[in-house]
Parts: sequence; structure tokens; C-alpha cells
Amino acid sequence: MNDALSAILSNLPYLLVGTFPDGPLGGAALTLVMASISAVSSAILGLAGGIGLAMTRGVSHLILLAGIGFFRAIPVLMLIFWTFFLLPVLLHINVPGLATVVAALSLIGGAYLSHSVHAGIEAVGREQRQAALSLGLTRWQAMRHVLLPQAVRIMAPSFINQWVSLVKDTSLAYIVGVPELAFLANQVNSRLMIYPVQIFLFVGLVYLILCTSLDALATRLLLGRAQSAEPRVTAPAVAIVPSPD
Amino acid sequence: MNGWLAPKYLIWLLQGFGMTLGLSVTVIVTATLCGCLLALARTSRTVPVRRAAALYVLVFRNSPLIVQLLFWYFGVATLLPEAAMTWLNTSHAVDLGVFKLHWPSFEFVAGWIGLTCYSTTFIGEEFRSGLSGVPAGQHNAAAALGLTPLAAFVHVILPQAVRIATPPLFGQYMNIVKNSSLTMAIGLAELSYSSRQVDTETFKTFQAFGLATVLYILTIAMLEVVLVAVQRSGSRATVRR
Repeated sequence: MNDALSAILSNLPYLLVGTFPDGPLGGAALTLVMASISAVSSAILGLAGGIGLAMTRGVSHLILLAGIGFFRAIPVLMLIFWTFFLLPVLLHINVPGLATVVAALSLIGGAYLSHSVHAGIEAVGREQRQAALSLGLTRWQAMRHVLLPQAVRIMAPSFINQWVSLVKDTSLAYIVGVPELAFLANQVNSRLMIYPVQIFLFVGLVYLILCTSLDALATRLLLGRAQSAEPRVTAPAVAIVPSPD
Repeated sequence: MNGWLAPKYLIWLLQGFGMTLGLSVTVIVTATLCGCLLALARTSRTVPVRRAAALYVLVFRNSPLIVQLLFWYFGVATLLPEAAMTWLNTSHAVDLGVFKLHWPSFEFVAGWIGLTCYSTTFIGEEFRSGLSGVPAGQHNAAAALGLTPLAAFVHVILPQAVRIATPPLFGQYMNIVKNSSLTMAIGLAELSYSSRQVDTETFKTFQAFGLATVLYILTIAMLEVVLVAVQRSGSRATVRR
């Protein structure tokens, strides 16, 4: 056990930042970078998709719904395959593995968040929309100044859940050889050969710390402030929104 | 980009699809059973049981599935005694007269255990929110009618909880089908794995991934249809009562 501990400790810098000062960033740091980029872009896509779902009617609504349904129905891995192996064949450009994973995670995260955003806007209620319209606001102004600010509070738990599952899903980059934490863990495991249990337990623990601290931080930032700004908001009711994963 | 896939490769893909379906169904069955137990443990009156269940959820929910699968595949292999590993790696078959039941490969067993442990946390939480969605008045009403706690749970609380939990439960079943694609990381020849294999052999990237994607979407759509059918039959039963 002591040998295993010292083996993990000697590989610790490699697992956390890869070959960073001398080479490209890797390991847990790369996991965080990928998760942050896809968190921001999936939030933007989700907001756009959700507002789109709330504002459209008829055929355009159905097309949007089908597009979102497509990304919700296929495994992330399949989408990574599409971008990683097909784009070079079709467009004769080499797409780096990192970009394909971030793109796939953003699209799928955005598709899940679209429905949360839409549900949040619906939950604010028809009356608020009608009141805003009767005050002379346009539909966009009503959305921007009346509906969205209220909907954000309802949507916050879904966003936090989605971000936490993004941190976990970056490990899929393992399949296309991006040197993030899961990939490096497997590399270290095949180099050392004899400590698979200890290595994967340790890596699982690193992910656990990343996910739980992100969860706590985001909950404090998003819900903590909203609660102090408006104490009437019933936080426990929204805290049990089922996770999209 | 030219031409369709040769029959040989179509069969590869269909075999992979069969593996995905087989793995998903076994995981759905075991994870649903374990999820029920987990939900009961999380609502238990004994504090240590409740704490242990909460810890299980925290650990398995907040680490990536791929790391868990690698752990089960590489890690457990070294923990088990040598004899058990050789038994797992050799093929076994049970003759049931009409057909032979083969003991699955170690990849399948590791994928099955890994997916079950991961999905149990999500399914357990869906059951738990279903149970807490039943109004407190129902408990009191059942008690007032003279039902024992067990009878009240089985006849009054559980049917309502299941109805509340059904849609999110099917969402979790869809996630199991999608997550089964990750078992290709430990070398299980399921749909994603075989589509990748067909792609490297034929260079017909579009056809290989296209067909696999269509098969995944079909499976998810089938689950959606089953969900609607279950909900319809459920609502008809309420009307009749």
C-alpha cells in the first residue's frame, strides 16, 4: 500500500497538469478547462434554444424540437465520432480531439438545457407575459426584462446539475486520446501495471472533489444570492428538479 | 462515400446492436431492483443506513462512468483470486434443452456491474422523489382506514409513487442505453465499438456511424413509445376505479 501511495505521489503532478510547463496542458487542469469552455457554450446554446422554444409556434417550433430531440437521443460518444472521424473525411480538415469533445458536449448540454430554460420560462406564467405586453413592451422586451430574470432562478438547479455532469463527461475525451485526467490515469495504469485499484480510486476521488466543490460553489453563487435578494423565493421546491443525466 | 456497406459489416453492426440491447436490458432490470432498495435505504429510519446510502449516491454520482468502468475492469481483476479470474475468462454454458445459455465475457460482466452501480444512484433518486411526491394526507388516510404500515405502503403509497416516477424513470432507461456506449472503452463489442470497427475496415465512415446513430435513435424512440403506452394504461386504470 505504501508503494502504491508513493507511486501515485510521484505521478501526481503528471495526473494534475500533464507535462504542463514543458509541454501542453493535461490531466485534471485540462479537464477543468474543457468543462469550463463547454459550460459557457452549452449555457449560451441552452438559453438560445429555450427562448427559441418559447417564442416559436407551428412548423418552426417542431423543427427546433426535432433538432433538440436528436441531440438528446444520441450518446455523446456517437457525436464525438461524427465530428472526430467524419469531418476530416468530408471537409479534408483535421479537427483536434479537444475541439470535437468540447463541441459535442456543448451541443448535447445545450439541448438538455434548452428544455430546462423553456420550462423555466413557462413556469413564470402567462400572466407575467400578458402584463408585460399590456404595458407596451414588445415580445422581446417582455422576454428580456420580465420573463428571463424570473426564470433564471427556477432554472438555476438544472444549470448546476448540467455543469456537474459536464465535468464527468469530459472523461469521454479518453476515447479520442485527449490527454485529460481519465486518459492519463489509464496511461499511468498501463505503465505501472500493478496498482489499478489504487490509481482508479484516486482518480475517482479527484473527480469527486471537483464535482462536489463545483456543485457547492455554483449553488452558493446562483441560489444563495437569489435567496438573499428575494427571500420569498421557495428554494426547496426547485432543489429537487431531476438531473438531466 | 460511395456505396452501401457489405452484408458482412451490416451483420457486425447488428451484432453490436444486439449486445447494446442485451446489456441495456440486464442493466435496466438490476438497476431498477437496486434503485428500489436504495430509495428505501435513503428514507430509512435508521440513521447509519440512511448515511451509508447517501454516501453511496455521492460517490457513484460524482465520478465519471468511464473511470468506474476502468476500475471494475482493470482493478477488480487484480483483487479477485487467480482461480476466480480464470473461471471468469473461460467460457461456460448451461444447457437448457431448447437453447444454450452462455456465461458472458468478463468485459460484459464488468460493464454490467459498472453500469448497474452508476445507474442505481439515478434510479434510486427518481424513486425517492416519487415517494416524497405522494402527499402526507395519503399516509394518514391509509392509517385511519386501519391499514398496517406495510399494507399502506404496498397498496396506497407505492402505486402513486410509481405513477409519479414513471416518466423520469424512462428518462433514466434512455440514459442507460446511451451510457452503454461507454463500455467500448473496456473492449465490449457493442454498437459504438462495432461501428468504429466497421469504419476502420471499410473507410465508409458516414454509413457506419449513420447506421449506428439511427439504431440508437430507434431504441430511444421505442422507449418513448413504451412510456406513452404505460402512461395510457395507467390512466385508464384510474378511470375504471
